[in-house]
Amino acid sequence: MGATAAVVFASSVWVFGQEQAPGQAGQEGGAPAAAGRGGGRGRGRQAGPALPTPRLADGTVNFGRVPGEKGVWAVPYITNMGMQLVGDDGQPLPAIAQARQAAAAARGAGGGGRAAGGGGGGGRGGSKSEPWMPWMPWSAAMYDYNSKNESKYDPEGYCLPPGGPRMMATPYQMEIIQMPEHNRIVMIFEGATHIWREIYMDGRKFPEGDLLNPTYLGYSIGRWEGKDTLVVENTGFNENTWLDYFGHPHTDKMSVTERWTRPSKQTLHYQATINDPGAYTKPFTVAWDVPWRDGGELPEYICQENNRYLNRLEDDLGQPIFGPRPQPGVKPSGGTR
Amino acid sequence: MRTKFAVVVAGIALLASARIMAHHSFSAEFDANKPFKMTGQVTKVEWMNPHTFFYIDVKDEKTGKVTNWAMEMGSPNGLMRAGWTRNTMKVGDKVTVEGSLAKDGSPTGNARAVTLAETGQRLFAASSQGNTQ
Repeated sequence: MGATAAVVFASSVWVFGQEQAPGQAGQEGGAPAAAGRGGGRGRGRQAGPALPTPRLADGTVNFGRVPGEKGVWAVPYITNMGMQLVGDDGQPLPAIAQARQAAAAARGAGGGGRAAGGGGGGGRGGSKSEPWMPWMPWSAAMYDYNSKNESKYDPEGYCLPPGGPRMMATPYQMEIIQMPEHNRIVMIFEGATHIWREIYMDGRKFPEGDLLNPTYLGYSIGRWEGKDTLVVENTGFNENTWLDYFGHPHTDKMSVTERWTRPSKQTLHYQATINDPGAYTKPFTVAWDVPWRDGGELPEYICQENNRYLNRLEDDLGQPIFGPRPQPGVKPSGGTR
Repeated sequence: MRTKFAVVVAGIALLASARIMAHHSFSAEFDANKPFKMTGQVTKVEWMNPHTFFYIDVKDEKTGKVTNWAMEMGSPNGLMRAGWTRNTMKVGDKVTVEGSLAKDGSPTGNARAVTLAETGQRLFAASSQGNTQ
């Protein structure tokens, strides 16, 4: 291609949005779990004092709007849940805190930032860079594969739903609508294919056996713990999703316990304990903050409209995954872009 | 190898305020270590999900050869939060685009910022670049 040959590159330039605090929280907010507690700060967006947590008439937390006001949750971009693990105290694991410090120091020393992950796959270190993860051999190998090809086969890139905790790690806005009179809570999501979740608050049990049909978002049963914490038990996931953009795999044995709190009007604290005996040797807990965007509303987002990525996507052998495969003896048409 | 056209390397500013939109893997398709800045005339705008595309004709100043480049941005929602509307950029407009080149060598770029020549307005393109670590 003559055209590209003409471009002058500056390979040393790496000054994009990546040079941020290594909380993987994206540019939109979502300070690491502990940092936002009490302060209600989402990366500076909600400067000023924490406003009181809104509550419903019965005293439970209102996870939605205050009457007369608009607003949405600005979900952060958590690309790597392996860096969001917290201990029983809700604080980042010491090893992760150290890894973040080391990465920050490497960047400060002009190390370019990307190498901090341990090299390989554009700076992604794969399973070895996350020794705190309770890997099984296969999940580590799968993660390494996804690291090496830079998440080329991310199902979310196919416009499939994120599923599970990744719904709260995909940077599109969402709302939580409580309907206590109906014993249900509905969560609506702008992005991730413009979908919704229902949390059953009616005290039901999970369907048993094959009546629990595996789905992208799973089956969600919620309950209140006191008036501050919404606990949601989830199971019945299919295996068509990844835990995160980085490609931590999971199986249909996964169950997820979510704990939702709203320490201030401006901050939602999200915590999820992932228990997948099919992929990890023990449960682990991830957590992060989600900032409130005052005045926001959810626009439409239909991912499937013009997903050219699918047309361009090839497998490891160079064959198109979704498009027509070349026929023997027929010259390929040159592909689409 | 051709000589350069209106493409120069830019010291690209930290786009900390840009609303990002995640969809497919940025780094599977684009190379963040191949930044570009080029100016051309808009030939087509596809204001669509999950990524808005626009196309610009870029002229090689030495040879006169014109190449039509495909530029990928974020979703219309993300772009609107960054200050765009569907009519911000129209066919025929002259624009300067900053972004990263495709890995496959095709005339395709991931736009991070677009400057409209007519007004000088510089808008972020809701790219997911820089958020993949």
